[in-house]
Parts: sequence; C-alpha cells; structure tokens
Amino acid sequence: FRYTRNLVDNGNGKFNLMILCWGEGHGSSIHDHTDSHCFMKILQGNLKETLFEWPEKKGNGEMTKKSERVLTENQCAYINDSIGLHRVENISHTEPAVSLHLYSPPFDTCNTFDQRTGHKHKVTMTFYSQFGERTVC
Amino acid sequence: LPAGLSQWFPALEVLDVSGTGLAEMGTELLSLPCLHTLLAKNNRLGGPGSLPKGLGQAPLARSLRVLNLSGNRFSEVPPELLRLRGLRSLSLGGNRLHSIPPDIQELQSLEFLYLGGNFITAIPPELAKLPSLRYLVLCDNKIQSIPPQLAQLHSLRSLSLHNNLLTYLPREILNLVHLEELSLRGNPLVVRFVRDLTYNPPSLQELAGRTVKTRNIPYTPSDLPESLVRYLSLASNCPNPKCGGVYFDSCVRQIKFVDFCGKYRLPLMHYLCSPECSSPYSSASQSSTSQSESDSEDEASVAAHRMQKVLLG
Repeated sequence: FRYTRNLVDNGNGKFNLMILCWGEGHGSSIHDHTDSHCFMKILQGNLKETLFEWPEKKGNGEMTKKSERVLTENQCAYINDSIGLHRVENISHTEPAVSLHLYSPPFDTCNTFDQRTGHKHKVTMTFYSQFGERTVC
Repeated sequence: LPAGLSQWFPALEVLDVSGTGLAEMGTELLSLPCLHTLLAKNNRLGGPGSLPKGLGQAPLARSLRVLNLSGNRFSEVPPELLRLRGLRSLSLGGNRLHSIPPDIQELQSLEFLYLGGNFITAIPPELAKLPSLRYLVLCDNKIQSIPPQLAQLHSLRSLSLHNNLLTYLPREILNLVHLEELSLRGNPLVVRFVRDLTYNPPSLQELAGRTVKTRNIPYTPSDLPESLVRYLSLASNCPNPKCGGVYFDSCVRQIKFVDFCGKYRLPLMHYLCSPECSSPYSSASQSSTSQSESDSEDEASVAAHRMQKVLLG
C-alpha cells in the first residue's frame, strides 16, 4: 500500500542499486541522503521531485520549497545532502511509476522531515524484496 | 465495444480497454458471464450510457471483482455501478466527482477504493458501512472534514488523505487500531490551539435539565409538564468518559492536540458537554477529575504511540 524498495545489486558493499515501484498517489516523505550520492532514473511513468532547503537549526516553521519538476520516462536526477532535501511522488491517479536508484555509499537510515515544522526524525529504511526474494520483516 | 463480444469470447475473464477513447460501454458487457476484471481507464466515459442499464441483473453483477475507471470524465458515481455486489476493487481516480453517494455502502465486498484526484468536498458516513474495506484513497480532493463514523472501518489498513482541506481530525481516528498507514500532508491542519468560537451557551432550560440529571434530583411524571419529562429523557452523556456530565442540545467542540512524542502534533476534535469539562473543575463530582484528566491523556498517548508509526510524512 506504499511504494516498495526492491534491492537489485549491492555492488560488493560499495553501492545499493534498487528499483522503486510507486502505485497511483504514492509519495515519499521529505528526506536527506545520509552523506551519500543518489542517482535516480525513471523507468516507467512520471515522478514529481520537490526540492527543499535544509530547515534552520531550531526548525519551527514551514519548510522552504526550492523548486519542483516532473521527471518523465528515462530522465535522470541526482541529489546529495549539500544540494538539499527532496520529496518524490507519483502524482498520477491512473498510472503507476517505476524508478531505478543508485546510492553510493549504501545507507539504511536517513532523516525524514515534517514539512510544516522542519522537525526531523531518524528512520531505518527497509526493502520490500532483495534480489527478487520478498523480504519478510 | 464491438457487438458480438460475448459470442466470440464467451470465457473472457479480463478485459482491458484503457486508452481507447471509449465513450460508452453497452449491453455487450452484460452477456460476459466470466468477466472478473474490467479496466477502462483514460477514456471518455462519464456521460449517460457509460455503463449499461440492467447491470444489476447481469451475471457481471456477481462476477466482477475489479473495476478501474480512473482518468475518465465521471462527475458522479453512476448508479448502475452500485449494483456490482461482488466488486472488491474500484478505482475512480482522476475523474470529476464532487461527492460520494451514500449508496456506496451497497458495495459490501469492497476492499480497495481509490477516489484520489477528484473534487470531493465531504465524505458520507455511509462509507463506514463497508466491513471489508482495507485501502481507502481520498488524496487530492477538497475534503474539509472526516466523519467520526469512519473509525468504524475495522478492516482499514491504509488511509490516504493528503492534499485536502482538513483543519482537524475527529478524535475517533485513534480507534482505527489496525491502521498501518495514514497520510495527512498538504492539509491546513491547525498547529496552535484554537477554541471553537461558535459555541452557543446553553439555554436556561438546558442548564436546569443538566442540574436535574447530574444531581439526581428525583421527579415523577406528575411533577412536571409532559414536554419537560420528555426533554429530560433525551439527555446525552458527555462523550468524555470520565465526566459524569450530560448535555441536551448544547455541546462544545474543542480541539485537543495529541502529541506524538514532541515531534508531530495532530489536532483532534473532541466533543464535550461544556468548555469546563476538560479542566480540573468539571460540572461532575470533583473528586476524580484531575485523575480522570490524566487517565484520558494516558489513553490518548497510548493511541498516539501506535499512530506515530502509522503516520506517513
């Protein structure tokens, strides 16, 4: 009932390559990338990426949107923490979307941010499947 | 749809006519006895004749499990659709719906309902009468409030409410114990305490009635005019379970914030018998109120802990 993260390759510990499957209306939280490089390529459908500024130290106001764009099939995007934070969402109510993500070095925790207040919250990311096998929590 | 469809393909189970510019689907559908999945998204459906009349009597009414009509031009849910008693999954995302018909409750087998991306302003309480509903998507609409009855959806696992016009939620939302996902972003949820300023002070009759009830003043039908005896029998207990107070017509709506461990505060609407009900000095006996105040806060924070894992940012 949410987008799924499906690990495809872990590059001998140097990177994580995964496929994300987004149902209609599915979106991510605003998140950072734990000091790693992040590449994203759209394999099917469209994904909207909204970039945000890092909140002030004692964040207590609405987060500032920097820009937004809709990425279409085969388009690529890149982000890292020095560029900012982002939210990725499938805004279509009729089509699912599929994206390929490369994270280097790999990471399994990140911070999610509340758009209204800038408060951050550390989360552990999990995989729906790894190398084609369903991951049971 | 081509005439003779059911003659050529009598065993048809899945029919996908998405993206074909279809403006109506007629009686050709009615004689497909095995059809369980019909995908007709991104077409020009929405006018009269979009779905055939007589759908309720066709085998389709019992056999159809999945219906996808997203990306069409429906401005209302066609009544014929509500005859599909076997329907498990319905999508009307990205149409032009302004409301959900109360008769949606006829789709008793429904497990998945996608209504995102329409112009829906309100949710009928009848939507809560769908006992198997697991996944409800109402994102990207114009919804201003959620009826508290929605908490009766015992099977609900996922509720998508993002990008609407909600300023608060009913406190009953904490009763959805099986909920695993809840999206609320993009709603103008109040962040500061807001007192409901439209509270109308109770009438003298109401105040007298409350006193009679809460002080257990004895009376018999011969003591009072019949109309007042009847009035006294209509007293409602204050929804605050720890308050012994009653009310008749006048109750307060008050927003209380449930704090998710200091990280995220959700405004939940409480109905109380009076503005003083939640304070240490309520209209009921004073002995247990400060204890009861913290008890109900404990209940709320247990529920809040559960909900914290459920909230999607």
